[in-house]
Amino acid sequence: MNLKAVSSSFKQQGIQFLADPQWIIPSIIAPFLFTVVALYMYSGVGDIDSPVVLTAVLGGGVLGMWGNMLFASGFTITYDRYNGTIEPIMLTPTHLIDVITGRSIWNTLIGLLNAVLVFVSAELIFGVGVSVAEPLFFFPMLIMTLFSLASIGLMLSALFVLTRASFVVMTILEFPIYVFSGALFPVSVLGGLAPISYVLAPSWGVDALKTTAVHGHESMTEFGIAFSLAMMLFLMLVYIAAAYILFRVIERNIRESGTLVRY
Amino acid sequence: MTFFSERAGVIKASCILSIRDTFTTIRPSLWFLQLIVPTIFAMFFFSMIAYAAGADQEFVIIGNAVQSIGMTTIYAVSGIPGVQKHIGTMTPLVISPSGLFSIFFGMSLFSIAAGFLSIAFSLTFAAFVFGVSMASINLLSVVIIILLTAFSVGGISMMIGSIGIYMRTSAIIANIATYIGLVLCGVNFPVSDLPAWVQKIAYCHPLTYAVEATRGAISGSSVTDLAEPIIIMIFLGILFIILAYLMFLFFEKLSRKKGRMDVF
Repeated sequence: MNLKAVSSSFKQQGIQFLADPQWIIPSIIAPFLFTVVALYMYSGVGDIDSPVVLTAVLGGGVLGMWGNMLFASGFTITYDRYNGTIEPIMLTPTHLIDVITGRSIWNTLIGLLNAVLVFVSAELIFGVGVSVAEPLFFFPMLIMTLFSLASIGLMLSALFVLTRASFVVMTILEFPIYVFSGALFPVSVLGGLAPISYVLAPSWGVDALKTTAVHGHESMTEFGIAFSLAMMLFLMLVYIAAAYILFRVIERNIRESGTLVRY
Repeated sequence: MTFFSERAGVIKASCILSIRDTFTTIRPSLWFLQLIVPTIFAMFFFSMIAYAAGADQEFVIIGNAVQSIGMTTIYAVSGIPGVQKHIGTMTPLVISPSGLFSIFFGMSLFSIAAGFLSIAFSLTFAAFVFGVSMASINLLSVVIIILLTAFSVGGISMMIGSIGIYMRTSAIIANIATYIGLVLCGVNFPVSDLPAWVQKIAYCHPLTYAVEATRGAISGSSVTDLAEPIIIMIFLGILFIILAYLMFLFFEKLSRKKGRMDVF
């Protein structure tokens, strides 16, 4: 991996974002409104500061992170196509995955801001009282969950390179992660579909996150938070390895076919 | 007469071009997937929250079937000016002798029709995938309600889209408009659960009547029984189209004056 290219693309993505920071707003609207809906629906279950409501707010934060990650991953190549910068990127000796990795790390940091915005909005509007059970473990876990989402984003970026209809693909992929991550409801309610959640790193991240935040949270397995953390890390490595292979194959194919610039 | 036939020609040409443009960029199969996958997952997602919260799942599934018009019509129509700016076609459109309203109205027709399809498919999924009982359904009422929903929601979407002519981007407003129905319009919980002042806003949105009337039609209510929401949707649809026309004139003039046509 070319670390200089990674840090440069990180810096470039940051400069682009700061030039027009309003783009964070669209990716927090849907997760925030979903959290509001969940809060209204769960308000029948208990008081506004009950664990189930705290779970909803945490889940909303995760949705915020995913929304940002998905759209940032999709647009990262799409905008290069629009702006005519994809050809210079492909002409440099740097591999595409190095450029995308730097950008993804920036998007990950913004995703964290996204989650915090959802927490703060819920607190200000509903007075939910986001007080976590184990703050020392909560924040590292939040960041780990965010990186697990970023690893999916990295893998998807490779696919977004292939398609000129990235917005359509983003729209299709947005809800499945909302559903299977178990962010706003326990994975157990999915019944026969629950195994899909087990192969998603963010599901384990959400589980670990809720364990550190909510008193009395029932974990996905009986093995507790260490197992959830291990599963998340393992799946993240699998996604990153898959992304690396995909990028290499796709990069070679698009150079041969000459279809990259088409949109 | 010539004026109206010219306008009709512009609307028709814009509509045909937008359809060709859509299917040149994406394959029909992918377009269809985009129409149905988010809808099915949204219904599933909110019905699971309802299940976990002990709320009425059928209420939520029908509500989200109607709300599926959000992405297909509200987001698509309100985002049209932003897209034109992004791909660099806004200036040629402004220079052409046709008014922007006629052009964007024509471009919107396909998304409005897609909204009709989206609700129709979603209600079919509600019955066959989610097991919502359609035993008492009044089909005529449902068809009329879906048509009116697409029409009235199309009007409000064009109003929102007109702002995009002046603003750098309409994406923020389009996102809010797309998803606000989930909270305001009785999609997932009754409107009566909202604070009183929010309820007043909810009843200015055609989707509130659409959701209410669809639930009624599925329970067997006839067109006559649903006369009140139907009349209100017709009224709101006409009102929003007139307002959209006036807003297009206003923002077009303002953007020409301030030179903001190409700012994005």
